[in-house]
Amino acid sequence: MSSVDLLLPLLVAVPMLLSTVPIALGLRFDRTGWSVAALTTTALVAATTTLANVVYTDGVVTHKLGGWSPAYGIELVLDEFSALIAVLVAVTAAGVLAYTRVGGPRGNTFYSGYLLLTGGLLGISVTGDVFNLFVFLEIVGLATYAMIASGDGPESAVAALKYLILGTVGASMYLIGVGLIFMATGTLNMGVLAEVLPAAVERDPTLVRAGFAFVFVGFSMKVAQWPLHTWQPDAYQHAPDGVTPVIAALVSTAYAYAFGRLLYSVFGPEFLTSTPYLTELVVTVGCVSVVAGSALAVIQTDVKRMFAFSSVSQFGLIVAAYGLVTESAFIGATIHLVGHAVIKAGLFAAAGLIAINYDARTVDEYAGLADEHPIVAGTMALLLVSLIGIPPSAGFVGKWYIALGAVEAQLWPVAVVILFSTLLTLAYSARLLEKMYFTPATPLEAPHVSESVATDGGENEDDAETAAGADAANDGDAGARGGTDTAALEAITANRDRNTVSYGMLALVVATALLAISLGFAGGFLADLLDPSFITEVFN
Amino acid sequence: MIESELLTMAYPPLLVFAAAILVLLLPRAVGFTFGALSLAAVLAISLVVPEGSYLTGTFLGHFQVVPFFVDPFSRFVGIALGLLGVCTVIYAYSSGASRTFTAIALSYVASSIGAAFAGDWLVLVFMWELMAITSTVVVWYYGGDAVRAGYRYALLHGTGGVLVMFAVAAHYVATGTFVYDLSAGLADGLPQLLAMLGMGVNVAFIGLHYWLPDTYPRPSFVASAFLAAYTTKTSAFILYRAFPDDGHLFLAYMGGLMSIYGATFALLQHDMRALLSYHIQAQLGYIVAGIGIGTSIATAGAIGHLFNNILFKSLLFMAVGVVIYRTGENDLYELGGLWREMPLTAIAFGLGAFSITAIPGFNGYVSKGMLFDAADPHYFGAPEYEALYWLLYIGAIGTLLSFIKLGYYVFFHGESDIEVPDAKPGQVIAMFGLGGACLLFGVWWQGFADLMPVIEESTHTFMANGAEKHLHPYSPSHRRTAATLTAISLVAFVIVRKPLSKLEFTDPGSVIYPVGYYLGRWSMLATTNLYAAVDRFAVAFVKRWYWVGNNPVLAVDAAVRRLPMVDVAERQPADGGRPSTIHLRAGIGTTVLLLTVALTIVIWLLV
Repeated sequence: MSSVDLLLPLLVAVPMLLSTVPIALGLRFDRTGWSVAALTTTALVAATTTLANVVYTDGVVTHKLGGWSPAYGIELVLDEFSALIAVLVAVTAAGVLAYTRVGGPRGNTFYSGYLLLTGGLLGISVTGDVFNLFVFLEIVGLATYAMIASGDGPESAVAALKYLILGTVGASMYLIGVGLIFMATGTLNMGVLAEVLPAAVERDPTLVRAGFAFVFVGFSMKVAQWPLHTWQPDAYQHAPDGVTPVIAALVSTAYAYAFGRLLYSVFGPEFLTSTPYLTELVVTVGCVSVVAGSALAVIQTDVKRMFAFSSVSQFGLIVAAYGLVTESAFIGATIHLVGHAVIKAGLFAAAGLIAINYDARTVDEYAGLADEHPIVAGTMALLLVSLIGIPPSAGFVGKWYIALGAVEAQLWPVAVVILFSTLLTLAYSARLLEKMYFTPATPLEAPHVSESVATDGGENEDDAETAAGADAANDGDAGARGGTDTAALEAITANRDRNTVSYGMLALVVATALLAISLGFAGGFLADLLDPSFITEVFN
Repeated sequence: MIESELLTMAYPPLLVFAAAILVLLLPRAVGFTFGALSLAAVLAISLVVPEGSYLTGTFLGHFQVVPFFVDPFSRFVGIALGLLGVCTVIYAYSSGASRTFTAIALSYVASSIGAAFAGDWLVLVFMWELMAITSTVVVWYYGGDAVRAGYRYALLHGTGGVLVMFAVAAHYVATGTFVYDLSAGLADGLPQLLAMLGMGVNVAFIGLHYWLPDTYPRPSFVASAFLAAYTTKTSAFILYRAFPDDGHLFLAYMGGLMSIYGATFALLQHDMRALLSYHIQAQLGYIVAGIGIGTSIATAGAIGHLFNNILFKSLLFMAVGVVIYRTGENDLYELGGLWREMPLTAIAFGLGAFSITAIPGFNGYVSKGMLFDAADPHYFGAPEYEALYWLLYIGAIGTLLSFIKLGYYVFFHGESDIEVPDAKPGQVIAMFGLGGACLLFGVWWQGFADLMPVIEESTHTFMANGAEKHLHPYSPSHRRTAATLTAISLVAFVIVRKPLSKLEFTDPGSVIYPVGYYLGRWSMLATTNLYAAVDRFAVAFVKRWYWVGNNPVLAVDAAVRRLPMVDVAERQPADGGRPSTIHLRAGIGTTVLLLTVALTIVIWLLV
């Protein structure tokens, strides 16, 4: 039991070290990346769940790197809040691999980046040091830039560049904020900061508040709050289909987690509520993002871009919940973080699956999907329903707690915005649902199908007559014809193989949908994980 | 002690309901025997079960319910309902009623008894609705003309039941309990108003009464005999539970008017059962008047008259039923001289008619006399009941007149031109059982008074105007009143007999059905059209926003075009009709600028 904290540095170190392995092996073998990543993430799932188990039964696990005192050295902490995120990161990272095995992107370098990203995300989750957090933010950022850039075409490169510059600017803002706070307190450890910050505020409120301002703006950029969200839709839309689920589910979630961690564990509710305009500012930014993000989502034609704007809106909800500073709102924000991550991973995976296999990327192209591919369409519908927040689903529980928090805080406009956000979510989800279920498929798809049948030698009834005529004419060389037939068949089968949805992809999508629904039932359970220990410690 | 405890577990409605099922399953004679026995058991239980609340429990966790509540009132009503039930089942058996019909009728009787023994409003509402449903089925079972009448009956009673339900709900809101308040009844205000309306349907308030002559003459005569007593009388008893305190002037005068209205229209009827149906209203008028006055003598008189009415009104329906059974004729002007053909029926009819017209020696005389005394300002009545006394007086004359008319045209008035046998033995037993009881309680009024609530047992005293008074039904003044009434009526009948047979009046109360029909039709049309309008609006609204979402550029275009002083160039689509989108892409530089602005604002606000 005493050595369980050794797992903490391993959570970060192992994926980062192993990220070099695919490249090294790539010198001799072609496709080792996926196996290495799968092994690593599976191990990480085991490690995080073990640690989470320890955290929820025995309490917080800490580890001092190199044995340095927390005041100077780096401390890794896993408490009730971060354990949830760590498990989410590990499980999602492992799960999305089921998609990328067939769905791509492939290549050893991709999996190197993937592991680096996973390590960075886990680092964000477990670090107890504000500067160390910056380092992990940068690691995650760099890995993400690289992965987005791995998409085909110039748009990916542009999107990655945009994200690179803006993300770095955001992180720099954060770093400046950390610098100001360091000036005020002389420490970088979160636990110690929380203790000395009240005194520092009394001594020099300007310094701490300016520090907060930089941190807040930096994270608004990172979490993609309107109007600083501009990098996000491009990045999500142009990233490879296999990458978007990870980025959408984990990167923004990890940033939002880090923001919440700073707000509640470093600055503390006391500072938040006592500083004039602070909570109002945070709530306003969140609410504006909710409305603007949803409105922008409604007018999109590209499905992935629509989901990207939806993320702007959903993270607006979380930021607004942070700003409410009530226990229920915080629980709601946490549940919504997890629930939204699961739902968005599923939605982007489903969108990718549909894009790759059925070549449908815009809302209009989704017409008639339910008839042709009922399982995929049904899963997507379930995920959308969860996103809207129809009970019982993950989306509902989070929004419920946040709305409860708004009511407790007597901030009726916020409560209205939260309810309104449900309506707006419904607006863009309904567009997609309507297309999938109630608009018949456009006849444009038909020529493609009949063409492949024609090469098959006339199985189609329409071609029967022609085939009969051809038979009479070609009676002599039936053998040759037979040969061509077989070749054509093989070609078609190969073609179908490429187009067939892999079980891994489908399993991931279905699993996320089921998880989204079951999280709705487990909402109370999630709240219980946080409620007595962490919440009491933070709010009292 | 143990026996009486056992009795408290024997819930009377359940016994009757079980008998109803047995009637359905067993051979006819055996089943009917069980039916009669179950009602005899109700009679016996009513007589011996000690007072108190039984089978109490909670409904849905926290509503206290008392399904089986015994006090002097429910005991008294239970005796009458049980006694009548036994006779009616015998009558039904010998009249050839089918097993199915009797099973339905017995479940109707069970629900009625359940309502009488209810100790809280929740059970009452349940039984009340059950009574409405089962009685409708009793009417429907006959088929033909009765189906439409039964449907109207069901609609009206459904509405009344809903009003009672609202009254009970409002009562619960006001008091926080469903259990009867024996001294105050329903809470003042809304609950009383709603109950007045809802129960007014069942006890045939003027204006809400037309279902009575509309429904009761239509099904088979056996069904009429069942219907005649249970719904109206149980409802009148529940009206007392709702308004047990005194001084309900509206109720008192409504009762007085009902007695005249019912008697007048009874006088105008040709159909024998319609005539009797209007008399239900007239007699209910006396009961309602007594409940409205609410003093101890009035209450005793009302409940006593209710008891008697159960007996003699059913007896009259049975006697007329036998006439219909034997002759197949409903119109009294088509009959005549039947006393020679069916003397037993004539005697039975006479017993009932003498009772209802309050001839001394019959039970109606005792209870009606008490009601007269309660209203008469010279006895126990308050001054404001002077007019009521005269209303009841005139009503009594009307009753006498119409029964003289009914008896005269059916059993006398020349020779009978048809030869028919008399009543069957079972019918005779049933009729003479009830008639005997009428005579018994008229002559041996002390026994009647012993059973009666409010009146002290054995001493026959009651409290009036702050003093203890004795009951004297056969005092000279009472007998004088009876003689005067009878004399006036006899003389009047001779005068009005001829013109009466030519008169034809439609009951103004009958407008309730056409009015209800058109009201329902128009309200339904209005609702449907309103719904359609809302639906159209909602669909158009959603469609428009859906279009705006899909074509933001066109929407902005269209919006701007409507602004004054703005010239918008005609749009030239060059994209093959693809949905137009707004290209809002902030570049890197713009975003950094925005970030700077945001940072400035945040720092300015916070620091």
